[in-house]
Amino acid sequence: MNETRKLDLAWLSLVLLSVGGAALGGQPDAGFMITVLVALVMGIKVRIVCDRFLELPTATRRIRQLMYAFCYGMPILVILTSAFGDALARLTAKLII
Amino acid sequence: MRRERDNPPLQHRTFLSAMSQAGTLPAIPSPAPAASGRIPGSKAMWVGIFCEVTEFALMFAVYFVARAHHPEIFRNGPEQLSLLAGTGYTLMLLTSGWCVARALHAMRASRQRACLQWMMGAFVFGLGYPVIKLFEVRWNLAHGLNGDAGVFIVTYYYLSFNHLIHVFWGLLGMIWVMLRTGTGSYSAEEHSGLESFAVYWHTTDIIWLMIFPLFYVLR
Repeated sequence: MNETRKLDLAWLSLVLLSVGGAALGGQPDAGFMITVLVALVMGIKVRIVCDRFLELPTATRRIRQLMYAFCYGMPILVILTSAFGDALARLTAKLII
Repeated sequence: MRRERDNPPLQHRTFLSAMSQAGTLPAIPSPAPAASGRIPGSKAMWVGIFCEVTEFALMFAVYFVARAHHPEIFRNGPEQLSLLAGTGYTLMLLTSGWCVARALHAMRASRQRACLQWMMGAFVFGLGYPVIKLFEVRWNLAHGLNGDAGVFIVTYYYLSFNHLIHVFWGLLGMIWVMLRTGTGSYSAEEHSGLESFAVYWHTTDIIWLMIFPLFYVLR
């Protein structure tokens, strides 16, 4: 498969994941598993953009590591905040006026 | 002394290289590429991108803290916003990003005309974002979702308007890159300006891909 076909496929996957992800979370009273699934979809989409559009695999190690840290950090934080929201609220209680 | 022998200045290296080719010296290993990769676009653009990423990381931290303190409000928040508008933004930005990536590939293949056409497509889809925003804000205000509508809506406006500003910058950059492409300033060998813009636009895409589920999807 040539590079432009790979780009087209990446775009199609992103569109399908976006529509699918929206349908997933659109359900009322979604549970923790849905949160994990939404975070997973977020992570996959961001990874596709990083690898196919941003061409991070060919970038220097420092750029790659920093961008991946940001991109993977967010879905992980979504899951952690959902699972340990109370603990985070206690830790940051003094920040809230 | 040892450092100079291992990594001699360029004019010495050329001389030593000529000597080694002539068979009078052992072969000199070529210097290793910096950190085994390249810098897509320009260094300056990456400094800007990491500033942008830091800025949004701080705003996301505010979101997570607010969510932890008001879980009920954030659970019901997405119901107030239009999921259709959120999906529309996502599709517009993703399609625009895809067009930019195709434009870059066209330029690498020396197809300047195709590059310009893909950039125009990217601009049209990119423009779809502020257009949807205009309709969404009007719809929100008609439904009473203004600055006094609670912590969820305030956080939403704060993050999404900030992102909108970055999209505006990107659109301005896109006009500049299209002008440069149209006047033949880029070539298959030298198109770092186009690549720098592409890197910025894809990063703006990535940030939206994070904002979208946080405000429109997660309940």
